[in-house]
Amino acid sequence: MEEDKKTAVWDSYTRKTHVIGRIVSIITLIMLVGAPFLIGGMLGAYPDLGAVGKGFLSVGLVWLVSSIAEFLIYTPMLGAGGGYLAFITGNLINMKIPCAVNARDMVGAKTGTPENEIISTISIATSSLVTILVLAIGVLLMVPLQPILQSEVLQPAFENVVPALFGAMAYKYYRKNMKIAALPLVVMSLLFILVPSLTGSTSFMIIPSGAIAIGVAYLLFKKKNAAGSKDGNTQES
Amino acid sequence: MSILNQLNSVPMYAICGGIIAFVAVVCVIFLVRAYRTGKAIGMDTTKMKRTIISSATFSLLPSVGILLGVIALSGSLGTPWPWLRLSVIGALHYETQVAQAAAEQVGLSTLSAAEMTPGAFSTIALLMSICIIWGMVMSVFLNKKYTKKLTADKKSGKPGFGDMAMTAMFIGLVSTYMGRYIGGFVSENGLFTFNGDYIPLIVLAVSALVMAGFVYLIEKKKQAWVDSFSIAGSMIAGMLAAVLAGLL
Repeated sequence: MEEDKKTAVWDSYTRKTHVIGRIVSIITLIMLVGAPFLIGGMLGAYPDLGAVGKGFLSVGLVWLVSSIAEFLIYTPMLGAGGGYLAFITGNLINMKIPCAVNARDMVGAKTGTPENEIISTISIATSSLVTILVLAIGVLLMVPLQPILQSEVLQPAFENVVPALFGAMAYKYYRKNMKIAALPLVVMSLLFILVPSLTGSTSFMIIPSGAIAIGVAYLLFKKKNAAGSKDGNTQES
Repeated sequence: MSILNQLNSVPMYAICGGIIAFVAVVCVIFLVRAYRTGKAIGMDTTKMKRTIISSATFSLLPSVGILLGVIALSGSLGTPWPWLRLSVIGALHYETQVAQAAAEQVGLSTLSAAEMTPGAFSTIALLMSICIIWGMVMSVFLNKKYTKKLTADKKSGKPGFGDMAMTAMFIGLVSTYMGRYIGGFVSENGLFTFNGDYIPLIVLAVSALVMAGFVYLIEKKKQAWVDSFSIAGSMIAGMLAAVLAGLL
């Protein structure tokens, strides 16, 4: 009876998450696309749609493909609620994904479970609120903060937020998964050494790197399963 | 009135601030609903509270980094628009790149206030929006189907490779950036010249070492409470190392 009640609560939550997620995504989309027209009207110059079209063909198509890949790769990590929120609030690779993955691992939630869905939604909502708050305070205090944040001494610190984040995450994940990490790390290092221009396409290189890591993980998974069933057969006989 | 004065006017703050406030309310709704549902289905509230604390501390430093992106773009696009873009939907690595590309498309030689006109601004702003909305569009149409399929696969008892695949994908992401920093040092200024930017490598190493210290405290000394602050602490150490390396 208690389980039925929990299932009903969960089903209702999931259903409403999709309804709310879709509605707020559509409203945000309308506001984001509408804002340039509103601002253009206010400034007395609407956007040049021809230039927007040309610009989209030259720079936007790449981002369209990247967005599709990001959606397919990251939604399973984020779950339904976390997925809607993350794509509304942005900064996925440098913040939301590591944040949600870290929270998920800290509490031991498994992919595709209600616990994972709840933890990742809480994590992304909190992370987004912190960013909104920090940016709001930063914009309010822009005049006194600007010289400090842009001081020459502190520049290396802020230019290296991402290595600082990934150094810590790498230790956490590599130590338990060295067999999975070795090959993508070697391949990526060699690629970036031999083709330095790839630096400008780092976010796209995540796709082959992730594919290599998943491929190695799958082989290890198969091997482990095969060894497990062999042990089982031995015990049965 | 100069273009920057127009772009920093009160109505601009009202438009951008209004959208940000809407998204903040959405975040609060998702947070409260998730917390309440977690409680209702019997999840440990301590875990949820730890998630809030760790996510908040985790996000502080990257958010300051993002604030620098706002400052960087404010010189050419005014403050409110970059504030909106980096609070909602945008990505630090994306905005500057697309704003620059969009500026070139509207005939500016570079993204600067000196060349900016109202028409160029509204066109750049629309192009920036249209380029980045696709993740959200995909969510509107496919999130429900996709997450349902993932849950169905889980329930059907298919081999439990999902968690391992997600971990592997994340390792792939981290490895890409590690490779980029190694490649940058080795070949940034010519193949195998070894005189590229070495600071990211120092930062990676220091941050990883400090994380190792945190893991030691958590696992060997049973100080589980430090887990919520381990990423933020490691990042601070890594960033401090960058400052020190920059002074050398």
